[in-house]
Amino acid sequence: MMISVQLILLIILGLLSIWFGWRVFMTSSMVRSALSLLASMVAIGALFLVMEAEFLGVLQIMMMGTEMSIMAIFMMMYMMDPGGLGEMDMTHQKNLSIAAASIFSLIIAIVILAVGWGPLATEIPGPHEQNRLLGMEILKRSMMIFETAGITILTGMIAAITVALSIKNNRN
Amino acid sequence: MINALLITLLFIAGIYLMAVMERWSLSGSLQWAGPARSFLRLFVQEEIKPRKHDTVFFETAPVLFIAVILLVIAILPFGKDLVLVDLATGALFINAALVYIMVSLMMAGWSLNGVYGMVGGWRSIAQLIAYSMTVVMALTATVMRAESMFMGGIVESQQTLWNILYQPIGFILFYLSAMAIAFLPPFDLPTADGELAGGAWADFTGLRKLLFRLGRSVLVLTLSVAVTVLYLGGWMGPWLPGFVWIFLKTLLVAVSFFVLGRYLPRIRHDHLLEYHWKYGIPMALLNIFIVGVLLIL
Repeated sequence: MMISVQLILLIILGLLSIWFGWRVFMTSSMVRSALSLLASMVAIGALFLVMEAEFLGVLQIMMMGTEMSIMAIFMMMYMMDPGGLGEMDMTHQKNLSIAAASIFSLIIAIVILAVGWGPLATEIPGPHEQNRLLGMEILKRSMMIFETAGITILTGMIAAITVALSIKNNRN
Repeated sequence: MINALLITLLFIAGIYLMAVMERWSLSGSLQWAGPARSFLRLFVQEEIKPRKHDTVFFETAPVLFIAVILLVIAILPFGKDLVLVDLATGALFINAALVYIMVSLMMAGWSLNGVYGMVGGWRSIAQLIAYSMTVVMALTATVMRAESMFMGGIVESQQTLWNILYQPIGFILFYLSAMAIAFLPPFDLPTADGELAGGAWADFTGLRKLLFRLGRSVLVLTLSVAVTVLYLGGWMGPWLPGFVWIFLKTLLVAVSFFVLGRYLPRIRHDHLLEYHWKYGIPMALLNIFIVGVLLIL
């Protein structure tokens, strides 16, 4: 019974995320487009939650909220779009996009069908245990990748702050 | 069941007190019946919709605003076992939900299709993106000490020494960021009554405005509970039961928010962002570093 409820939720959320993804291109405004994309990503975050991957779900929902808002603010800064009355077209290079989308959908479908996904997980570790396992993964097998990314971002942050602080070259 | 009832009662009392104090911070007089009058007035007020508003965002924004705040309060403990939902990713979840306050304010401001609303909406997004960074970085340091993202785990890690003393930089950052996220004065730029005539909420009336106003009171209460749980030892304290301690500490934090707001001038928008990105973020990094060193020692 539980599995079937989970499955129904998965299907509904999957369809929702596709529908919002489609809405991204069907609106006439940058902000609506950005928020449709956000809704699509939140639906994917909810998919993680339904699959009992609590950390990933919460992280996805958090990150996407900030990212899409930043995207919206930048798009507004460059293009303006007062109240969505600009009637902008969100699509361009239609034939090329359709071709690219079809090819990639086909590749993804082939990958989904061709890859051996292994046996289904019979029992899922609790959320707390998942967090611990994730930490172990990050600091053991994937340490190189995460530490490289982490140090790069930290360096970027420190560099940006140093440039912004006008202690040495204060013209006033 | 009794626990849930107790939490709800404390919660309602807390929201009412927040509303009373909010009025005090603006008017300087304690009007105990003020929030009730305000509630009734907004409840029956005519609903005026701006011309050419964006219907979907206009209707969604107030509901989203209050919904995400209720999600945060559901995971915060009011006592040792007094928590509605005990999430293993509690600390992360707080920030995830707070991000959507920003999204709802942006939706609100933009959907009105008016100048004040638009400026308020974009201001709120700049302010909340900035300050949710320090919130999450300060939270990281508390999680590091507790070695757990359970809110209960964070409280229990403060058994020997409260986090306000263990990581004072983190506390100051979280406290100020909490004020900025709740856009309380002097950080009330998104709604800035004096200059933007209500900003992001400018053209909302009736029930929608009520949801925003109510949501803001709940938000202040939520963030005060969060400060209590993360930095002031949560339910810990002698003699009295845990939930009383949390309630008293929360009230103290909230009162301090409003008192600061009453006596400080509103910060200029560019200064607000500048202080944060140039000084707040380095301080937050320093805080994580210091806590890391203290934990290894």
